[in-house]
Amino acid sequence: MRIDNHPILDFKRGKEIRFIYDGKEMVGYEGDTIASALHAAGVRVLGYHHKTGRARGFYCAIGNCSSCLMTVNGKPNVRVCVEELKEGMVVETQRGKGELK
Amino acid sequence: MNKAAEVVIIGGGISGCSIAYNLAKKGVKDIIVVEKSFLASGSTGRCGAGIRMQWGTEQNCRLSKLSVEFFENANEELGYDRDIEFNQGGYLIVAGTEEENEQFKKNVELQNKLGIPSVYLTPKEAKEIIPHMDETKILGATFCEKDGHLNPFHTTEAYAKAAKRLGVEFLTFTEVTGIDTKCGRVIGVRTNKGYISTPIVVNAAGGYAKRIGEMAGIDIPVYAQRHQILVTEPVEPMQKPMYMGFSLNIYIQQTPHGSFIMGRGDDSEPTDLRITSSWQFLEEMAKTCCELLPPLRNLNIVRQWAGLYTMTEDAQPIYGAVEELEGFYLAVGFSGHGFMLAPATGLLMAETILGEETTIDISNLDIGRFKRNELVFESSVV
Repeated sequence: MRIDNHPILDFKRGKEIRFIYDGKEMVGYEGDTIASALHAAGVRVLGYHHKTGRARGFYCAIGNCSSCLMTVNGKPNVRVCVEELKEGMVVETQRGKGELK
Repeated sequence: MNKAAEVVIIGGGISGCSIAYNLAKKGVKDIIVVEKSFLASGSTGRCGAGIRMQWGTEQNCRLSKLSVEFFENANEELGYDRDIEFNQGGYLIVAGTEEENEQFKKNVELQNKLGIPSVYLTPKEAKEIIPHMDETKILGATFCEKDGHLNPFHTTEAYAKAAKRLGVEFLTFTEVTGIDTKCGRVIGVRTNKGYISTPIVVNAAGGYAKRIGEMAGIDIPVYAQRHQILVTEPVEPMQKPMYMGFSLNIYIQQTPHGSFIMGRGDDSEPTDLRITSSWQFLEEMAKTCCELLPPLRNLNIVRQWAGLYTMTEDAQPIYGAVEELEGFYLAVGFSGHGFMLAPATGLLMAETILGEETTIDISNLDIGRFKRNELVFESSVV
């Protein structure tokens, strides 16, 4: 879901960026954060609470709330709402608190 | 509010609550604890909450051993309905200099003699315990598996609840504004909520101990120094023991929640009761941590906070009565290890106040030692 035509604002769409989300190939656009690309692609559940297992989604969108922590290129606890999307990124749903390697 | 009490304890931190509990357990009635904020709001709730028996003097080994043995059974002993979260993951104390390394070998001998199960380790052996450390930065280490950490809020609450059941009254959000004396004796405590007449006052005011002393006309040779701690985001458990270095100036542990908390000492820290945070600490702490435990450089820092160490010249507490003022007792100047000594503090102070023989001799830790020039130095402090 993206706004293509807006009565007042003009959106300049960047070039397509391909990335992998939980094994599936996805497409976002230059200028997207990981979270905005996932949201536009209809992904609503970004992770699960480490204790209760409840679904966690896109919430504060400014890097404060830790609701959108995911594993990106093998690194856990990435706040995807403030991480710019890059070509070929591997984004995975994180279980637990993440292991520091 | 005007009241009368047998004993007024100033300070609702771990020391004050432990003293109150021990006095009440020995049958003292009408004990009032006065706390200017909420329980554990001062140094107690801000501390690193590490517990160790690895000390360099026999007295400190004995005091901390008594405390650890208490903590091991504290949930039952205090009848606590929750958990004080005593996690005995051990303490790994690392040597950064040859001198320290040699001292550690002697410390282990002393500790073993007193029944403390510590061992001396080579850097390679130490790395087996904490695999993510850079072992080339250390010359040796000592390890005691019975050391660990606690939840300071739960521990204080456990003491306070047990004390309440024994009849102790807690006046929180009540600030002491003066101490009345007559003919060299304590007669009462003034607070912003009223007067309490009492023959005995215990100063367990942590960072504010010097101010309380001034109210009673007693100059206590302590000063409050800011110490800071930072906390990282949580990750899966990877470090069981506390990692601590004196010359390397660091203590760092992973909490049960998964966050790392770490602190260091800094002689340039302010001594004006400030508990603000500084970027200098953030920078220096991060540097030390990343050098000694390199993988931690990938962790985000969540926040930092500060509390007060109440320092004495020899980094040892001041326990007991004051010659110039009858009925005025001190449990102050813990120099950063008041939390872990609290069970000993409570028991020994209660015995002292009641004129009993103390379980461990602490007569050398009186306030008079500074005048007599009989300081009790301990090298194992951060």
